[in-house]
Amino acid sequence: MPGDRIEQRPKLRAERPPASTTLVIRGGRDTPEKLRSHALRTARAWSLDGQPLLGISVFAVLDEPLADLLGRRFATFRTVYLPTVGRLDAYGFELLPTAQRPHFTVRLRSADDQELGRLLEALGAPGPNPAYPRRYG
Amino acid sequence: MYLVDITADLNDEDETGYVWTFLDEARDPARISPGALVVAGDEEAAAVCQVVDLRPAGDGTIVHLRLLPGLVDDYRALVERAVG
Repeated sequence: MPGDRIEQRPKLRAERPPASTTLVIRGGRDTPEKLRSHALRTARAWSLDGQPLLGISVFAVLDEPLADLLGRRFATFRTVYLPTVGRLDAYGFELLPTAQRPHFTVRLRSADDQELGRLLEALGAPGPNPAYPRRYG
Repeated sequence: MYLVDITADLNDEDETGYVWTFLDEARDPARISPGALVVAGDEEAAAVCQVVDLRPAGDGTIVHLRLLPGLVDDYRALVERAVG
């Protein structure tokens, strides 16, 4: 049976925003269509201040080295995005401290092509994930 | 390219620490029950996961997934060794 969206405001972690030089990780290779799908999924499930929350997930490199976090959480991704918090901020994207540290949600204002294109620019070019096992080519 | 049992963004987690997605994104929702092993993700990035639970949220049902270690290809190799 369907329920209400899960309100995130009281669930946000009380912590200082990461420094602008902090790297954030997003696994995979995104397209505008994928990002739209992911953002709309978040908005189906989550709300912020009573409104559907459009957003995508990233992880900040905070308490463990990048290599450890990649190996622990991102080993299934061939490629990863590694923008800084400052870069996302420069493109106007807010980071919400959702779920368990070091997960964050990049908040979107809309899921239109312009916003998603800007988000892709902010993420930068995906690079090979050094934690991806190359056993199978 | 993977043909997944349930589409998910493997980056997504909620306060449980598990990956989550919606039940109606499963190819066969009947396969999605607690304890079941499934391939989740999309055609490019997929992982073997165990279904943890299902909970109503929004206009549907959220599925929590425990990411299992290793690649899908590791599990395929495992099965091929086991069954010859």
